[in-house]
Amino acid sequence: MSWGSLGYAAFFFALYLAAHMIARATVPEADPALLPMAGLLTAIGLTEIYRLGPTDAFKQGLWIVIGVALFAATLIGLRRDYRILESYKYLFGLGAIVLLFLPSIPGLGTTVNGARLWVSIGGFTFQPGEIAKIFLIIFLAGYLRGKREVLAQGRLKDLGPLLVIWGACMLVLVETNDLGSALLYFGIFLAMVYIATGRVAYVLSGVGLFAVGGFGAYEKIPHVHERVVIWLQPWTTKPVYCPLNGLPALRQDCQSYQLVKSLYSIGNGGFTGTGLGNGTFSTTTGTPLIPFVNTDFIYSALAQELGLIGASAMLLVFMVFVARGMKIAIQADDGFSKLLAAGLTFGFALQTFIIVGGVLRLIPLTGITLPFVSYGGSSVVTNFVLLAGLLLVSNRANARS
Amino acid sequence: MIASAQVETTLLVLKLAFLVLLYVFIWRIVRSAARDLRLPQESMVLSPQQVAAYLPQPTARELARLVVAASPAIAAGTSFAIGTASVFIGRSANNDIVIASDEYASGRHARFEPRRDGVYVEDIGSTNGTFVNGTQVTRAHRLAPGDVVRAGETDLRFEA
Repeated sequence: MSWGSLGYAAFFFALYLAAHMIARATVPEADPALLPMAGLLTAIGLTEIYRLGPTDAFKQGLWIVIGVALFAATLIGLRRDYRILESYKYLFGLGAIVLLFLPSIPGLGTTVNGARLWVSIGGFTFQPGEIAKIFLIIFLAGYLRGKREVLAQGRLKDLGPLLVIWGACMLVLVETNDLGSALLYFGIFLAMVYIATGRVAYVLSGVGLFAVGGFGAYEKIPHVHERVVIWLQPWTTKPVYCPLNGLPALRQDCQSYQLVKSLYSIGNGGFTGTGLGNGTFSTTTGTPLIPFVNTDFIYSALAQELGLIGASAMLLVFMVFVARGMKIAIQADDGFSKLLAAGLTFGFALQTFIIVGGVLRLIPLTGITLPFVSYGGSSVVTNFVLLAGLLLVSNRANARS
Repeated sequence: MIASAQVETTLLVLKLAFLVLLYVFIWRIVRSAARDLRLPQESMVLSPQQVAAYLPQPTARELARLVVAASPAIAAGTSFAIGTASVFIGRSANNDIVIASDEYASGRHARFEPRRDGVYVEDIGSTNGTFVNGTQVTRAHRLAPGDVVRAGETDLRFEA
């Protein structure tokens, strides 16, 4: 224990209190459990990031401050009526597309770990796809509310927008080399169409289209192909071709090194874990065992230090958060609010599923952040804005009943 | 050696305490969420009040009735019987008198309670209040025949 870590704790607690006060003042009727859950997840995440590297924790702390500031700004700016956003739905849709393609612009985009998702301006890196997620949800909530009756009839020509968005998702996938984001955007889209129209046929045809697109990507894009291979067979008993250096090597020492080390990390935790700060994350010589452990693999770090029981507790918090978000969507009484709350909640849930499922080798691993917990500025900021949106919808729904 | 064993015990206790704390947090939230869900229960098992409805009721008599005088939600002239159980009025579906489209009424607005000495009306935390003959009721108020009870924009005439 050091004064530094206590300083973080005190500062974070003060920040949480400030967020709580602002929420009480602007949305007094909102669901009281969401902010504490977000606070808990952020605190666990920050603690683990501090334990893995105090320098990153300082940066993450700064991002949390920005996140809380935007949280407050969203609540204060939209406290009267957030439904004004509906009038700007096409602007949000356009904004989402622009943000999604921003990393593809030469000179602006940065490729990290094979995926082209980051934008770098003056040494300051962020992931525009995260903010695009919120924009997309606002656009879909506004658009589907107007078009739900037409879409529910299910004529072929009304499938146009579905195909356009499917195409856009696949373009993003090809451009950014990232299956996770494409799955996330398309999943959000399908869920919101289903909520608006109540027709399973859309979900089935959407899943079919995604399967076709995914298979195409698996065949044509080496990066995606590799992820599937790693997922299905992370271990080999004989040396195979290693694309990293072109030499034969066991796959666990080459492509799937990160995933395999992360699985060992989870296994090392056992039932109650090693305890916070007691886990093993570097070799005796000091080299880190799992590359990118504090972003995509924070779940395996936490699973080691908190064990099965602690990791389950964290997943339970995510589950309760999602349950309360869906309850807000049920309580809301106009279509836009319902779709907005359901979309935000579903996006949150799907993102958690994609990364935890990927780390646990349930689905192919794709780099995406664990909401509130992972190290990553854009993610933390976006999730605080998402939380503000849910609180606004909840406040309105509860104030009316 | 003794010191290091003590440190390890302390760490173990702290570790377990943290896990317990996590679950206490979740339990508290789930419990508060469950409280919200308890009222509109869809279960095949009858509650004691519901069972009472199936039993032969020697004393099942109508004490009084409420007749809708004016309402944006229910047609005027509709009448509701007050028997031996309390009658709730409000906008949500779990009320006995549902006035969903009355914008000024609350989810659970007021309760009509039969007591030994007559029927009482009581406001149960509504936003806009409950009125008897134009006067707001602050506690349980005994109704006299011909009284007009106002909840939201709905007027109910009490007839004994």
